[in-house]
Amino acid sequence: MINQLRRYAVVLSVSAVSLSTISAGVLIGSNGAGAAGATPGVTAKTITIGATVPLSGLAAGYAEVSAAAAAVFSYVNSKGGVNGRKINYIRKDDCYNIDAAGCTANVGATPTLTQTQTLVTQNNVFAEVGSLGTAAQDSVLAYLNQNKVPDLFVNSGSSDWNQPKKYPALFGYQPSYRAESKIFAAWIKQHKPGATVGTIGQGDDFGANGLAGLLAGGLSIASANRLTYNPANLLNPTALQAELVQDLTVLKTNNVSVVVLDSIPPITQGILEIAHQLSFTPQWVISTVGSDPLSVATPLEVGSITMTFFPSTATTSNTWNAWLKKVILAAPHDTTNFPNYFTGANAGVLDANMQYGAGYAVAFCEALKSLGKNVTRAGFLKAMTTVKFSIPSLVPLSYTKGQHQGLQGGSIATIVANKVPTSPPQYAALVGNAEYTTGDYANTKIVSNKQTVTPIPSWLK
Amino acid sequence: MGRLLTLRHAYPTSSRLVGTVVLAVLCVAITFTLTALDDSKLAGGAAIAIVIVGLSWLIGWSGQVSLGNSGFMAIGAYVTAIWANHHASTPIIFTLLLATACGAVGGLILALPSTRLRGPYLAGMTLAFSFAVAPLALNFPSLTGGSGGLFLNFLSAPRWFQGLFSGSQALIRANAQWTADVAIVVAAVAFFFMANLIHSSTGRAMRLVRDNDVAAELAGVNLQRTRTLAFAISAAYAGLGGSLLTLLTGSVTPQTYSLPLSILLLTLMVLGGIGTLSGAIIGGLIYSYSDNLVSLINKATGINPTSTFGANLKGIVFGVLLIATMLLAPRGIVGMGRRLTSMIKRPARES
Amino acid sequence: MGSFVTSRFITYLLGGISSGIVIALVALSLVIIWKSTHVLNFAQGAMGMFATFVGMNLVFKGTNYWLCVLLSLAVGLALGGVTERLLIRPLYGKPEINPIVVMVGFLGVLESAIPSIWHTNLLPVPTPFSQIYYQDHGHTILVSPFVIFQVSLALGIMGGVALLFQYTNLGLKMRAAALAPEVSRLLGVRVNRLLTLGWILSSGVGAMAAVIVSSGQSLAATNMDGIFVSAFIAAAVGGLESPVGAITGGLLIGVTESLILGYWSSNMAPLAGVLVLVASLAIRPQGIFTRNSSRRV
Repeated sequence: MINQLRRYAVVLSVSAVSLSTISAGVLIGSNGAGAAGATPGVTAKTITIGATVPLSGLAAGYAEVSAAAAAVFSYVNSKGGVNGRKINYIRKDDCYNIDAAGCTANVGATPTLTQTQTLVTQNNVFAEVGSLGTAAQDSVLAYLNQNKVPDLFVNSGSSDWNQPKKYPALFGYQPSYRAESKIFAAWIKQHKPGATVGTIGQGDDFGANGLAGLLAGGLSIASANRLTYNPANLLNPTALQAELVQDLTVLKTNNVSVVVLDSIPPITQGILEIAHQLSFTPQWVISTVGSDPLSVATPLEVGSITMTFFPSTATTSNTWNAWLKKVILAAPHDTTNFPNYFTGANAGVLDANMQYGAGYAVAFCEALKSLGKNVTRAGFLKAMTTVKFSIPSLVPLSYTKGQHQGLQGGSIATIVANKVPTSPPQYAALVGNAEYTTGDYANTKIVSNKQTVTPIPSWLK
Repeated sequence: MGRLLTLRHAYPTSSRLVGTVVLAVLCVAITFTLTALDDSKLAGGAAIAIVIVGLSWLIGWSGQVSLGNSGFMAIGAYVTAIWANHHASTPIIFTLLLATACGAVGGLILALPSTRLRGPYLAGMTLAFSFAVAPLALNFPSLTGGSGGLFLNFLSAPRWFQGLFSGSQALIRANAQWTADVAIVVAAVAFFFMANLIHSSTGRAMRLVRDNDVAAELAGVNLQRTRTLAFAISAAYAGLGGSLLTLLTGSVTPQTYSLPLSILLLTLMVLGGIGTLSGAIIGGLIYSYSDNLVSLINKATGINPTSTFGANLKGIVFGVLLIATMLLAPRGIVGMGRRLTSMIKRPARES
Repeated sequence: MGSFVTSRFITYLLGGISSGIVIALVALSLVIIWKSTHVLNFAQGAMGMFATFVGMNLVFKGTNYWLCVLLSLAVGLALGGVTERLLIRPLYGKPEINPIVVMVGFLGVLESAIPSIWHTNLLPVPTPFSQIYYQDHGHTILVSPFVIFQVSLALGIMGGVALLFQYTNLGLKMRAAALAPEVSRLLGVRVNRLLTLGWILSSGVGAMAAVIVSSGQSLAATNMDGIFVSAFIAAAVGGLESPVGAITGGLLIGVTESLILGYWSSNMAPLAGVLVLVASLAIRPQGIFTRNSSRRV
């Protein structure tokens, strides 16, 4: 009897405690910090933006991209900011969403999602600017959309960022892999007519889209020559090696003379070396994702064809290049941000990653400037489709209500040998005109024009 | 293993039910006071606790070492993602039940070649199985999204729940808390069933088979069936956990549920305490807050978290904890707690 | 003749044999530990990589390749002994699962400790053997001087272990200690010391396997992960008591993996282990090479 009473007493008291806790929580919640209508991340003097980028782990080579953007924001802040607001750019390490292989972020098994949640709920960012990685960003699209946070200038060539109806606050930056491949196809048809073409692509959307673009561009590729590598093997080097040996042996046996690679830099390097061991020397055509000579770092890359969206970093007369050098030197002198720029064999050599990052930072500042004093998310999204951007790219950057991809093309380039032939190359040189597509996929034409490089806005100089 | 786990008090089912409800309500109440980030962490921890308790059941109560539970989580996860993408408006309960059932079926399939195996051969078989999941997912990309995996919408709080929140970030906080509360309720139900299982005749048969299978056979217990049932139940729990986790993170890829996760589950189970319900809950909490724990260690010892040593500290700490636990306190945290309380009680009894 | 050697099937077979040899080597080391102490060493691959990191990193600094290999071997031997004394010895007599879990923990510690001690270096470890594959009239044969070195070294180690066990006093004592420890003690055999010796030997073999795998490739703590799983399964296929069985299992799995890679797709390669294991269990549930049927009474 007493036991039963005791039990009832426990239940009642726990229920009472719970109910009061719940009511307290609800009451406190409704008097939450900040007025209901204020734009998140914006005050009179600052605007807070964030990005989830690989600062460590197997894609840490891309850390320079957002570091360059941060340098640009820092430079703009030093001149008083945009319309009197300083830009607070928070970069969170998401290790390319792979919590292994040297990742120092310590944020659990889904780094991108966790860091995104932190940016949104703790840092209260106005928008994400320049987050990187196809798979990484795919995993947070629904979350950002659900919580109405704009995701701008996503660093990836996937077409997933071009879905204006489903994700109106989502904007890409670089041309889609399909567009890039269509342009490659046109070059191959013109310069290597009749050649047997093969591909090695990453076994996910990146590779699949690249292949689709080549086919849409009119190339015929035998299915035996359409090869892939399993991206999961990035963490299993021995399996990856076996796979690549397999793929390249097949291509060699089939007398392929042009090989298109949709791979990331460490894989590109592996492929070039294994091909050398197999005495296989086709014409390499490498996607921008995996062709940066400073990342691939092997003399075997010399002579490969790739694409670039920005003027060659070797062109010292280009005003944007000179401006970028000034900005990087003025950045808070943290040499870990640009590990190869300040010391080592490639000191003083700008690389494409830096131009890329600076480009989207400049675009963000220009859109922000157009809004004047009153900054809202809705206003910013509108500005994205109306502002005429002036960034260092070879083709214009523009968005419309129906197109959120971003840049639509670039120039074909070739990797040139280092002055010391046994050292890895440092530059790509432009070949021919700027090529861009007038839309994304099957029904687009390729337009060929002389490269246009817009001038630097005076307030930025 | 047998001597480690014996049955303790057996409460009647009705009070077990009341206890579960009370505990669940208390946890839900607590989520109201936490930040959105903490709510998300707790939700993940609850899902993992469900998987751990299923693993504990298999290894602790039925004595079969399995390294394949991540494979069953993957089954639950993929079923959930595929179903959610085609039938977006199904109530959560149905999706979870579907995933649990698929997990159970998977367990039955794995049990077929495995229940005749003992010790290392069983471990090898389950290990091989956990390696089969990724290839299968990759080879049917139209169904499973291939290497990129599948994405689904996050759990959104219903209107009436959103109405409880206002002020800045109301929507974000409402959604985060809804997911935590759903996870807690699901975990409570799962734990209730497990508690009943342990004290049922099935549970007793399981323990008999584990300790002395010859005696069990003599007593009329069907060895194959008992072991198969153990696998199926453990797999069902893993499937449920994987399904819940997918609803919480909005995505599933072939790499999400692989060998490192199986090893992590084993670690958390051992740290919490093999074969105990509270041990599984502790394991889930450790999962949620392991990064906070590591940050604390970094601050206390002055290690730079971005140095190469600091970055790998988590792995080192967990590995050392696991080794120390097995060498010094094989019953885990719960076991140590029980030893402490019995040491405190003993002087009183002797006097 | 030329086209036969370079035909697809032979190409895959050659590739499978060279990778299978390494799997067989690791499987052998697992069997040595199992026979002596009835423990599944989950950290076998990681221990081998640790030894390899210590030794082979020096090649980048200019040290002679062979000296580095010897150093790796020495570290591997020492690590095996230390591990047995400190981690395994306290667990004799305890439930079977305990040492497995301890080794899993040790695996975690090693795989986190390695990148924290050595900086990630993406360059491949240079070897004194050319990695350029042989060409026959423009057709590639998947054999290079380096591959020949790898296979020869692996075979040599296996031969050495076999000689040790079959023809030396020490080998005889180790076999006796594993089979009948009580009787051996009565006969004056220092059983505990020999158990440690089993671990030392096994760890040395594992270190050599890791050196073989990592030469010509970049050093990463995870290099041995996939091979370990295949070796584990190979050992189970062969029946954990039989070294010959483990080696056969390793070759089987290596070849199966290579054939799947070639004829099917690289995605399905991890299934090789599953397929071989299920097939062998269907044929002979106790493991293909066990002599005595291991049903407990």
